[in-house]
Amino acid sequence: MKLYAYCFTEDGDAPSESLTGIGGSQVRVLKAEGFSVLVSNFSADTVPVNRHNVLAHSAVIQRVLAHTTPLPLRFGALAGEEQLRNYVSAKHEALQEKFDSIRGCIEMNVKLISQGAEVVAEPHLPEPADKPGTAFLVQKKREILGSETRIAEAKRLTVWLEQHVGDLIKEASIEQGRTEKLILAASHLLERGVLEQYRARLKAAREERPELHFLVSGPWAPYSFANIELEFKSQFGVS
Amino acid sequence: MSSPFDHLIITEGGEPVDEVELSLLETLDHVLNRGLVIAGEITISVADIDLVFLGLNVLLSSVETANEVLRKRAVDDERKSAVDETPHTQE
Amino acid sequence: MEFSPENPRPAEPEIETSHVEEFVEQLRCVTDSLPSRINIDAQSVEQGLAKLVLTLIEFIRRLLEKQAVRRMEGGDLSPEQIEELGLALMRLEAKLQELKAQFGLADEDLNLDLGPIGRLI
Repeated sequence: MKLYAYCFTEDGDAPSESLTGIGGSQVRVLKAEGFSVLVSNFSADTVPVNRHNVLAHSAVIQRVLAHTTPLPLRFGALAGEEQLRNYVSAKHEALQEKFDSIRGCIEMNVKLISQGAEVVAEPHLPEPADKPGTAFLVQKKREILGSETRIAEAKRLTVWLEQHVGDLIKEASIEQGRTEKLILAASHLLERGVLEQYRARLKAAREERPELHFLVSGPWAPYSFANIELEFKSQFGVS
Repeated sequence: MSSPFDHLIITEGGEPVDEVELSLLETLDHVLNRGLVIAGEITISVADIDLVFLGLNVLLSSVETANEVLRKRAVDDERKSAVDETPHTQE
Repeated sequence: MEFSPENPRPAEPEIETSHVEEFVEQLRCVTDSLPSRINIDAQSVEQGLAKLVLTLIEFIRRLLEKQAVRRMEGGDLSPEQIEELGLALMRLEAKLQELKAQFGLADEDLNLDLGPIGRLI
């Protein structure tokens, strides 16, 4: 019997209310060495990625978040009970450290769409119709220039955003130039108590830059700050 | 750039996009792309959909909706071929 | 856990924006890390290998393109050399498209999700 795992919480923090999870199953608490894992029974080998399941997963995490800050698992975590216990055992220290950093916190997201400055057009070159190779390179140049402009702007906006909310956040995870228009996607970890201040700062930032399109979402459980797979980092020397 | 959702969000042409859709996308961004990963194996699947046929990278919809798309396509294809043939009695 | 003004109960995640459609459009690519997770399981070994190889080639190809553009801008190439370089890169891009098609891989499939390292491309 496989279990679908939703999140970890510190012992004693798991909610006492009854929760319904994936496929209408009952969510229960598995206690393992000072941590709790929220799980529900799951019969198949894989979890279908569909609207219902995704929302069910999110809803469970969200209910827990109302009581305490959980360490959320990515969608689709299927494991046996033994496997889960082994995981907690093996990663005990890392889990403890992680909880130390996220305790009492929530995650907020800011996404920015920028219309961007128009890329400066090249002064001269008419499109040489009889020179397809050259035209190809000219087009590539336009594309490359465009993306470099975007990245530069993303960097500027990162700094600008940091100036507005930097002192309120514990940790930030930033994605620059994610798509052509989505120039910045920032995830912020902050203590619950400063949420209203944070929102007020973002409001001020919006007013300062009316040409930017903002999307602010949250509060979320700290999905963007959940990963503790350090082996990968040490192997490849990525900081 | 074509979107994986083009095939699945059935709008009868030009309906305004819902806040609900945006909320779903934001939720997806969190639960699918982030969160702690505890096992290396692939444990997710796309149910009942022929990926190759639809030519998509990823599908997100209830199974019902996707089947609706397939049914609608089958009907459209039938209609198209019916137009090409010499007309005969309706069914 | 006690709730107080300093520790408020968080509501359901709200989304606040005045540009719903625009963000929907941009966020539709959100799930593009999924295919590599599903496909790795479903693929044959050959396709997995092809994917790895083609990703590396694609990476190099893009570097070559950037370098070619820089040289073109730098002015140390004659018009004939520019034309030859452009044609060679065109052919390389076309060949790569062919190979991708042969293995049933889309552009997005070549963005291997390597976690902390992020995408190669």
